[in-house]
Amino acid sequence: MLIQVIVSGIATGCIYSLMALGLTLIYKSTEHVNFAQGEMAMISGFMAFTFLTYLRLPLGFSFFLALLSSIGLGLLMERVLIRPAIKAVHFNVFIITLGASIVMQSFAGLVWSYDQFPFPSLFPKKYFNLGTVRLDTLSLGIICTTALLMLLLFLFFKYTKIGTSLRAVSQSRDGSLLVGISVRHSFALTWAISGLVSGIAALLIAPVIFLSSRMGLVVINGFAAAILGGWGSIPGTILGGIGLGVLENVAPYYFPSQIRNIIPFAVLVGVLVIKPTGIMGEGRKKRV
Amino acid sequence: MLELDNIETFYGKVRALKGVSLKVREKEIVTLLGANGAGKTTSLRTISGLLSPARGAISFLGERIDRVPPEKIVRKGIGHVPEGRSIFPELTVEENLAMGAFTRKDRKEIQTNLKRVLASFPILEGRKRQHAGTLSGGEQQMLAIGRALMSNPRLVLLDEPSLGLAPLLIQEIFKIIREINQVGTTILLVEQNANMALQIADYSYVLETGRIVLEDRSVNLLANPHVRETYLGMRAKGGKLRAYPGHR
Repeated sequence: MLIQVIVSGIATGCIYSLMALGLTLIYKSTEHVNFAQGEMAMISGFMAFTFLTYLRLPLGFSFFLALLSSIGLGLLMERVLIRPAIKAVHFNVFIITLGASIVMQSFAGLVWSYDQFPFPSLFPKKYFNLGTVRLDTLSLGIICTTALLMLLLFLFFKYTKIGTSLRAVSQSRDGSLLVGISVRHSFALTWAISGLVSGIAALLIAPVIFLSSRMGLVVINGFAAAILGGWGSIPGTILGGIGLGVLENVAPYYFPSQIRNIIPFAVLVGVLVIKPTGIMGEGRKKRV
Repeated sequence: MLELDNIETFYGKVRALKGVSLKVREKEIVTLLGANGAGKTTSLRTISGLLSPARGAISFLGERIDRVPPEKIVRKGIGHVPEGRSIFPELTVEENLAMGAFTRKDRKEIQTNLKRVLASFPILEGRKRQHAGTLSGGEQQMLAIGRALMSNPRLVLLDEPSLGLAPLLIQEIFKIIREINQVGTTILLVEQNANMALQIADYSYVLETGRIVLEDRSVNLLANPHVRETYLGMRAKGGKLRAYPGHR
């Protein structure tokens, strides 16, 4: 039973990792904190819902269109809200994204109502036994999709010219411009990737927690995961997300079930008090 | 090849360049001398597009470039090794050099270029897979120069390549600058080490508080009393010139 709880914890943790990854990608390249990450995910979920229920498109195609629109949403955010504020201090941009998150949440409420909707999954909800452990395909599907996505992103950032240029931009803006990398295009691409990642997270989590205009709150867990793993560290987002997910699922096993809601905040406070750099964080490096 | 005509550049409200005009002829080494804050770095950053001038014109190979963004200027054939180097510390040496060729498509030519750069900087060859941030100051400087060369530039802007380096390394860097020039690359060099710069350069400009106050062939400037006293730290005393210890 405990193993089963841990596996579903890992699955939830994968979602947190994806949220944290979306935040970290944007933070690393632009040093901005995007509070609207969760709402970007939520809108993608509702887009898929619209394609499915109102336009009656097939599931796979609806999901594909939803992911395209999540890329579009990332690009739109960058172009309309972030780029005009390119000279603003980070705190102002943070407030802009906070405002955007509230606008998107209210927009979703107006268009799709404040109700909760069941949401289909690409993976059937089936149970099977592995030895004495009972596993469900939904959790495994989430875990495998996340692992695959992480692998693809790793290969992209490590081995392609464009991926390397995105890393270069996050390390030296002057250096990037001088070798001919367009920093503006790189920022736009980062937002597009971040939008895609949050869209995938939405399509994975919505079948579990239902689709609602408030599901963007999952960004809080994303923040907690990113900080637990070490703010700004990409491997940290994976560890932090999974750690948080497992903790959240295992704690109600021993304590009253309400503890679940406290965990992300407890983790946030705990990490910031005990080890502010998180598991993988290197702290702020000053260069000479 | 490169011509600045009455360039004025501002940092906020501060007029850092107050009408700078200079010319760099093809295949030459031209140096820009001056004290701290004279506007040397600002001049280079204005040429490569990191700063845009408020007034004046810059032309390169007969084409106006003063409104062109930096990522396009490198495509026109200007490589800039900036002050502070601006290498990518968490990319490997190899990746840094590959990024230097970001604007180029032909893989074969890039490979040949890479081999040439590694031949000029053998120390980088052995450190190919190290993160650039782990290199010493001199190695980082070589990497920054190598990265600029990977774009196959016709003109290289070098900003204080000797800054903070040990004397032997400075010799080494200047030797490399001469080699780069000998294969036909034009060089615009900014230096505080006026003595070394004047010895290597064909033509020199002296900047003081945002204005060119003196220009001449380097051999003539080496004999100029003002230059000798202010930039070479020598003073005429009883008809004889004497070097001060610790001069720049």
